[in-house]
Amino acid sequence: MPAVTVFGLGNILMSDDGLGPYVIKVLEAGYEFPPEVEVLDAGTPGLELSTILEDSGALIIVDTVRSDSAPGQVKTYRRDDILKHPPAQRITPHDPGLKETLLVLELQGETPPEVFVVGVVPASVEYGVGLSDDVRAAVPAAVAAIVDELARLGYAASPRDPPAEPEIWWERGP
Amino acid sequence: MARITVDPVTRIEGHLRIDVEVTGGSVQKSWASGQMWRGIEVILQGRDPRDAWLFTQRFCGVCTTVHAITSVRAVENALDLEVPLNAQYIRNLILIAHAMHDHIVHFYHLSALDWVDITSALRADPVATSRLAESLSPWPYNSVQAMRATKAKLESIVASGQLGIFANGYWGHPAMKLPPEVNLLAVNHYLQALEYQRKANQIVTILGSKTPNIQNLAVGGVVNAINLDNQATLNMTKLYQIKDLFDEVLAFVQQVYIPDILAVGSLYPEWLGYGAGVKNYLAVPDLPLDTAGTQFDLPGGTIMNGDVSSVKPISRFGDEYFRDSIEESIAHSWYDGDWSRHPYEEETVPNYTDFQDDGKYSWVKSPRFNGEPMQVGPLSQVLVGYAQGHELTVKWVDAALGELRSRTGVNVGVGHVQSTLGRHAARALRCAIIGDLALKHWGLLVNNIGSGDTDIFNAPVFPKGEQRGFGFHEAPRGALSHWVVLENGKIRNYQAVVPTTWNASPRDASGKIGPYEASLLGNPVADAEKPLEVLRTVHSFDPCLACAIHTLDVEGNEIAKVRAL
Repeated sequence: MPAVTVFGLGNILMSDDGLGPYVIKVLEAGYEFPPEVEVLDAGTPGLELSTILEDSGALIIVDTVRSDSAPGQVKTYRRDDILKHPPAQRITPHDPGLKETLLVLELQGETPPEVFVVGVVPASVEYGVGLSDDVRAAVPAAVAAIVDELARLGYAASPRDPPAEPEIWWERGP
Repeated sequence: MARITVDPVTRIEGHLRIDVEVTGGSVQKSWASGQMWRGIEVILQGRDPRDAWLFTQRFCGVCTTVHAITSVRAVENALDLEVPLNAQYIRNLILIAHAMHDHIVHFYHLSALDWVDITSALRADPVATSRLAESLSPWPYNSVQAMRATKAKLESIVASGQLGIFANGYWGHPAMKLPPEVNLLAVNHYLQALEYQRKANQIVTILGSKTPNIQNLAVGGVVNAINLDNQATLNMTKLYQIKDLFDEVLAFVQQVYIPDILAVGSLYPEWLGYGAGVKNYLAVPDLPLDTAGTQFDLPGGTIMNGDVSSVKPISRFGDEYFRDSIEESIAHSWYDGDWSRHPYEEETVPNYTDFQDDGKYSWVKSPRFNGEPMQVGPLSQVLVGYAQGHELTVKWVDAALGELRSRTGVNVGVGHVQSTLGRHAARALRCAIIGDLALKHWGLLVNNIGSGDTDIFNAPVFPKGEQRGFGFHEAPRGALSHWVVLENGKIRNYQAVVPTTWNASPRDASGKIGPYEASLLGNPVADAEKPLEVLRTVHSFDPCLACAIHTLDVEGNEIAKVRAL
């Protein structure tokens, strides 16, 4: 079981919603991680997320967040921020998101105690591949927030020298 | 007359919106509307067809695997490319494991709470609950201690003043009818099911090397190197790990999921009479047994007007009956124009207007099969199999019908399965059927490797000029098809006709309503502010719509909007 799982949530086909997977690729290209740390592009799972959440000591999540703040703002949250509002009505299998999955695991007494979310406010979540300028500009700050949290948890990442080219395969043109 | 709108606002964009008009306590008119544009296919134009599956598996975070497999099948069909036997078996095992995971999650975590009242479970006697469970099933984890622990957990949640994951349920609703002990048992199994859905998903991870979004596919086969003596490849240790996991999940399905469905079903017999809707059924064959896809372990076909004797088979990859019968209409959908076209010929030009009851009101198109709306999903697959005398299907269906007859005293027949509750029952039965087939295909794979065949891949060759192809897959939510037009080795057009498009389709050019819409007519609604009965019928289809966005809402306090006017 990894001590820390760092995962990106979001859809690479929905412009800024692809932020999470994008940041994961930039992280992987720029840093080496201790063996106890798992780094993962998780896409947009429903309750399948429980497998990742259950099998980890601590979680660092990067995702777009709904907020009144300006696009490209980086906002961070901890476990209780996420759980303080009740979950939504269930309609489709997508409705169990991060909050719901954490609540279900809490019922089993299996939630990781450390949950840290690095959120970026999107400018656009329309169909299309590629981040908006505002959100792309926020990537270094999101990466830095993740790296700082890893250090705080005692699993510091070390920068690659030289950094590798991020493997953003979905942004390669047709 | 009351108009009720159920419009979830759980993510930035809308999902599925249901409108019903209720008169005299039952639904008289209904509309199903997809509130988000599904124009993802446009992103594929001009790309390398060998990469298409990497993109299509991002269509939907829940259905990643199914869109990946259907895409490689479509391109292989366009190229007339067969895939090695090992690749078919490995794909089949992934498909089955994914479907078992998905069905278990759907019943326990997404829809059981439509029928199970959490607050009533607090009044249950754990001893009586355990005794009841042991009368229903030999499952070894239904002890008094287990039921006590679940009840204590529920009590602590209620005492904390927050219902956690159980907030926003319709607790105490007059349509909730299970006795406290059945409710407590169901909550206990809700928790146990979390473990078993994970075990099923582990199988996908072992074979697909990652979930969500498997990595092991290729147009022409799979990339799972097979070497029984190598730790890094598919070897006997991994194969036995897979078999052990299938054994565990299948035991859960046989000893928990099916008994639970029968217990709930026999206590809500009236729901065998609601929700039939469109009685035309479409299923595609799946679990291929040969390299070309001419023989399958799950039969496909169509049934019209609920008459099982009308069954007409769909029998192979590239099947002409399937290929030539499908058109999509946009008469009531937010696209430019008013055409009905074959998927190869479609274009996707959005043209949003307001929600117009008699005009355009959905982003979902209306697929039709020889002009008729079709219901897809486990119920369709089970009925099509039953009608063709598919041995495993007949065995499981007859056993379940017999059990329901003896418990309810109602002469339950195949007609009753065409209902809201029947869709849930069919999903559970399908889960048992494919679980049996998982063990068969595991054996086929092991024997084939044992015979010395380690082939996993046939390299695709892309000729000049145009090729057309389609792939299908009987996904957890039903018949899924991808349609691709290639030109000089690139994608010129791509369309996905997904199960929820069939089921959630709006009216078509001739005014025929879609399966969700038809299934809601006649449904009772006891309380317009709490349309639990509407959710029961809609959930029974396992809707999976917009499929895309994952923006986290931390600051908001959002629930589905239910408006009763």
